[in-house]
Amino acid sequence: MPEQKIVKTTCKGCHGGCGVLVTVVDGTITHIEGNPDTPTKGTMCSKGLSSIQHINHPDRLKYPLKRTGKRGEGKWQRISWDEALDTIAARMKESQEKYGKSSVAVSQGTGRGYNEYTHRFARSIGTANIITPGYVCHSPRLGLYGLVTGYGRLYCDYHGWGGEFPKTQISWAKQLEISSADSEMAVWFLNSLRHVKNLIVIDPRETTLSSRATLWLQIRPGTDAALALAMINVIINEGLWDRDFVANWTYGFDRLKERVQEYTPERAAEITWLKAEDIIKAARLFAIDTPGCIQFGSSLERQANCGQTLRAVICLLGVTGNIERPGSMMSWIPPASGLREEFFTEIPITDEMRKGIVGSETYRMGAARTAHSDTVIKQLLEGNSVVKVWFSVGGQQIIHLANTKEVMRALMNLESLFHVDQFMGPMAEHADIVLPAAHFLEIDDIYDMHPRFMVEAINKVVDPPGEAWPDNKIFNELGKRLVPQYWFDNVEIMLDYQLKKSGLTWKEFSAKGVLARMGKEQTYYKYKTDYWRKGGGFPTPTGKFEFFSTVLENLGYDALPYFQEPGESPVSTPELAKEYPLVLSTGYRQPFYFLSQYRNIPWLRSFQKDPVVQIHPETGKKYGIEDGDWAWIETPRGRIKQKTRLFPGIHPGVVMATANCFYPEEPGPLHGMLKSNPNVLTSNDHCDPMYGSPDLTALLCKVYKAEDGK
Amino acid sequence: MVVDLTVCSRCYACVAACRVEHFLPMGMSWPKLVALETNDDHPIVSTYSVRCNQCQDAPCVEVCPTGATRQRPDGIIVIDQDKCVGCRYCVVACPYQNRTFLSKDKDRGFFPGKIHTDFEKAGKELYPHQVGTTEKCNFCAERIDAGLAKGLKPGIDREATPACVNTCPARALTFGDLDDPDSEVSRLIRERKGFQLHPEYGTDPSIYFIDGKIGCSDKPADDIKAEKAGVAGK
Repeated sequence: MPEQKIVKTTCKGCHGGCGVLVTVVDGTITHIEGNPDTPTKGTMCSKGLSSIQHINHPDRLKYPLKRTGKRGEGKWQRISWDEALDTIAARMKESQEKYGKSSVAVSQGTGRGYNEYTHRFARSIGTANIITPGYVCHSPRLGLYGLVTGYGRLYCDYHGWGGEFPKTQISWAKQLEISSADSEMAVWFLNSLRHVKNLIVIDPRETTLSSRATLWLQIRPGTDAALALAMINVIINEGLWDRDFVANWTYGFDRLKERVQEYTPERAAEITWLKAEDIIKAARLFAIDTPGCIQFGSSLERQANCGQTLRAVICLLGVTGNIERPGSMMSWIPPASGLREEFFTEIPITDEMRKGIVGSETYRMGAARTAHSDTVIKQLLEGNSVVKVWFSVGGQQIIHLANTKEVMRALMNLESLFHVDQFMGPMAEHADIVLPAAHFLEIDDIYDMHPRFMVEAINKVVDPPGEAWPDNKIFNELGKRLVPQYWFDNVEIMLDYQLKKSGLTWKEFSAKGVLARMGKEQTYYKYKTDYWRKGGGFPTPTGKFEFFSTVLENLGYDALPYFQEPGESPVSTPELAKEYPLVLSTGYRQPFYFLSQYRNIPWLRSFQKDPVVQIHPETGKKYGIEDGDWAWIETPRGRIKQKTRLFPGIHPGVVMATANCFYPEEPGPLHGMLKSNPNVLTSNDHCDPMYGSPDLTALLCKVYKAEDGK
Repeated sequence: MVVDLTVCSRCYACVAACRVEHFLPMGMSWPKLVALETNDDHPIVSTYSVRCNQCQDAPCVEVCPTGATRQRPDGIIVIDQDKCVGCRYCVVACPYQNRTFLSKDKDRGFFPGKIHTDFEKAGKELYPHQVGTTEKCNFCAERIDAGLAKGLKPGIDREATPACVNTCPARALTFGDLDDPDSEVSRLIRERKGFQLHPEYGTDPSIYFIDGKIGCSDKPADDIKAEKAGVAGK
């Protein structure tokens, strides 16, 4: 009889964390599907399901490799883990002794359960130069929510635990229906939509939901703050604000009122390309049909006005009282285990570490506990780099940072670059040592989803190929070589340690699978209790929900939200717009890829082989581009080719290019990275004053047919 | 089966789940997604998740010369791979183009030129596919039968429900018994005006589509404002 078992685990194919059941027969995975007994109710997307092909991929990295030729030349030699880790530890030590602790940087991709290790590792060796994509994805909202709710988490209440679902739902620069990645889960959102009275979709492109919504606002990319401020203008001037909440629980309403006077619906309509009447309607719906919530996407965080844009949206939530009310925005109480952030926050950032953070003087919100990536790149180019040694895990900065050509040149100037990955991609090709990483089906770990009301067990299903190691083991073994006092005898003991608050051991938690605080265990209206503040209130300096942010004021920022044009736009750079007349957003994502991942997974690649640019049919006609043509997209930084989809649902003045793409099947070191990756086009020259986020979703470009085809 | 066009968002989870469930060869796809994108007077983006319609008056059954394609008593159309001779009459006869001939080039492995993965090897034992025959969606008949044998109810219990329905994060797919007026599928078709694709083909498909608006508010902005009097000062 073959031996068959079903392993319960958690998918880490994106940020989501869906519960998964994996069938294993005689050591081979024969089936994978969602686990119905978890909060994601047995649903699973194409990415997680295709793990089947991922784990068996013949191109998986199996052994540590050492570069033997020039950087990027593609000459490698297999080495042992001991040699690899000893070498990396020695180079880090040398660099820290010679240039200071902050000369070592640790980078990661999207935080999928291993960010606790990157941060703990960096802090344990005395550097806070942690390079993450957070500043263009999720960190700004956490930091700015934090200015009103302290801990900094506000999530849409799609669960109905307080007896109500959102009555008015705003979906803002976000398609949660196809991307559960950066906060909530599609299955919760779509269930909540069954109860909704009004759905407002704010998106430059028409979507399945927008074409069935109460209202679709086809906004010009990069002008979201103007829309939010105009909505507040309408709500205040028409007397629609939440009187009780504003009077008793907020600070700075009069100053906000004064500020928004300049953002009339008519002026905002001009800025945003919307109709004033639609802005008014959106404002009224959101203010009157409460409770409501705003699901926004990280496109708002990929703008050089990201900080104030989010501040405007947060103020919109405040004037409508859509905070902590059932069916509005909630700050969930963590599960009994606490949150895994404590695994790294227990090692505080010292003054020395803070001083060494690259970009901290300029980007005082974003570069407070992580480095500003674009400044790291600029310093490397200018030869005054603080960072000399770069240890990279899970993400390929070479693909996802703005201005690819500069990033490539900058990486060549590093003294050492080490990279951990599952495949040989453009980032690994530029490293000195490449370490092979295990897939989530091959590891034991703990995972906390964004809504932060649960932690889940990632249970090992099969062995990794060759000598690939889990990320947690890599950090633990490297950490032990440098600062053993912060690290553990083995991974199991490290996992026990992370769970200590819950009273469970790793083995007990692993069997349990999920530790969640849901339903009646959550508390609404926390500001009316002692939760944040004795006697009620918000965890802010004034004890109120701050429309006027005293924290931002102290940091030297405008304490009230305002709109600012993108660095390049028809309004801010009219001369440039003559040559580059179209607004370019590089925000197009497909549900079967995750950032730069999965183009080498055959099932997923079969859904869309080539990167696609969406162009309006009228625009295509004007520039002689037909559906299916390869088109050049050009900005002052360079040009790339993508395949044209003439899409009537996009604004004729906007071009939407597929993000973060390369061709894994093409030869190294670049794997076709310069051919179609829109970061060749993006700029790292204008960044958000608070977070340093570059304009990735609002630039200028021109398009023309690529005559030679591909 | 009922497909809800208001929420199907072209995520391809159904296609992937089917590939896992049936160990499909690389070039084979039983469900397919068909896109509709317009923005004229009435802007619409829709995705039709299509698969064999399990027609109640099925031309594929009629034209099959060997009896390989047949209709089960529960209405599901199945193909007996051992009887199929690959004549492809059914491929031509299906007005919905939901049948695919498994040619050699569609079965070159996940990674052509490389050895088969463990999953593919397992599939050859557990769910063999025969090059030279025709394939299509069977509503996960094996799952349904195994579930029924355990006393489970298709459309209610996962183990008796097609894989694509179980996995759909949008919950756009609903499965059940069309002959049971109290089933969820019957209710959806009744209450949300379910329609078949191309009824003019006269094959009586067992898959219905539903569509509509999201939310229930269609008031003009001025009416909304007029309502506010009772709401302000809440």
